[in-house]
Amino acid sequence: MTEPAAPDDLAARPFDDLVAELQRIVQALEAGNLPLEESIARYREALRLHAAAELRLREAELTISELGRGMGADAAEEPATEGEA
Amino acid sequence: MPPDSDQATLWEAPRPAPRILRVSDLNRHIRVLLDGDPALADVWVEGEVSQPSYPPSGHCFFVLKDAASQVKAVLFREELVRATVRPEHGMHVILHGKVRAYEAQGSYQVYVESITPAGAGDLHQQYETLRTKLAAEGLFEERRKRPLPRWPRRIGIVTSPVGAVWRDIGNVMRRRYPIGELVLSPTIVQGPTASGAIVRALHRLYADTSIDLIILARGGGSLEDLWSFNDERVVRTVVEAPMPVVVGVGHESDVTLADFAADLRAPTPSAAAEQAVPDLAQFPAILDRLRDRASAAMISGLADRGAFLGQEGRALTRLLPDTRAARQRSAELVDRGHRALSARTARELAALTGLGDALRALSPTATLERGYAVARLADGSIVRDPAQATVGEPLEVVVARGTLSTRIEATAKTDEEVLR
Repeated sequence: MTEPAAPDDLAARPFDDLVAELQRIVQALEAGNLPLEESIARYREALRLHAAAELRLREAELTISELGRGMGADAAEEPATEGEA
Repeated sequence: MPPDSDQATLWEAPRPAPRILRVSDLNRHIRVLLDGDPALADVWVEGEVSQPSYPPSGHCFFVLKDAASQVKAVLFREELVRATVRPEHGMHVILHGKVRAYEAQGSYQVYVESITPAGAGDLHQQYETLRTKLAAEGLFEERRKRPLPRWPRRIGIVTSPVGAVWRDIGNVMRRRYPIGELVLSPTIVQGPTASGAIVRALHRLYADTSIDLIILARGGGSLEDLWSFNDERVVRTVVEAPMPVVVGVGHESDVTLADFAADLRAPTPSAAAEQAVPDLAQFPAILDRLRDRASAAMISGLADRGAFLGQEGRALTRLLPDTRAARQRSAELVDRGHRALSARTARELAALTGLGDALRALSPTATLERGYAVARLADGSIVRDPAQATVGEPLEVVVARGTLSTRIEATAKTDEEVLR
């Protein structure tokens, strides 16, 4: 029986994990040999994963950081204003 | 020189009365003289371009000079179109062409047939030598190349923080893969100190084990501009990378030695960004298809169970005396439920979007509401098989609005095939 994960758990998991888990559940449901209670629990989990992954896509914003600021000659003189989110 | 030729007689005029030449005679003489010299018909000359002009005729006129001298040169439109470089002031070049006099001006000039940056020949030579050497070491072999991570989380970018390349990479990532994180390791990408700077920028990323993938990129330029990417230290540093490296330098036609060393060679910086990550634009549709498949599997699973319950219900009612009305009612309910479920099962999977909500309504409570019951033993386990229960044991029957306490009077098993 799959323990339903807390919402925080899903938010912390990488997007590809959510998708992979959703894929595994779909395959298990399609195999059709789960007991009723478990298939209902898995199905609920699938809906949660779907919602979490969709939300992640909708709210995604590219993160940008920079290494080696102040490393003198290596970095160009001008700051990188372009593309900073 | 034959004594009867023009050139000979010209200078053998009688002494006392010098022959007075017209300017055009002099210039023609000089032209013929230059035309007749095979060395001047095929010259290679090296120097610095000075003050090129590009009049509307489409030709290019300039002066080629060195520390001591200068000579005029002309690059006609036809050659200019074919030339790999456009003469610019201060450019150090090698010209190939012929020297001819221009009678009308009393000057001579180089008629340029081809122009190449000086030193390019050397660079090509160096490039080939180093390529051969590194290839012999096996550094460019296909089997060295690692697959890229399908879902990189942190992507290191080595490029100049100013200019179009960094901006373009950011734009591609924002469009295709906004869930990622870019870590810029800035460097200069041109000039005599660039190679060392690129090596240090790569090492800064190598030190960060959370970096999944590196993109090394630079925009287009001349062979000299891109030269740092043919530097042996840069090439070896790319080879040593602990994580896969994608190299996108210059345009399609520019292939640097760093490109050969990369795990993946992309034709341009933007292409490098595109090839490094999956395109998430397709994912909303992929996610919806997965959800719909889950719904379809649940619905068909419930329909199967409905059919099974129908059999069980009918078997059960046979065992109960004097329950004609209840039996009829039960069978009716079972059939109705079954019909409702079967109708759903028959729908096309593709039309299933939105059924997730419908399915949520199919909770056990809703199923009970339609007349099904769940039978539980004293320990709470759900009875699926008569073998689970013994005659005389208490049985709790859960219906939509409550529970019924009863005892098992008899058990019987239905046909095996019904149980699947």
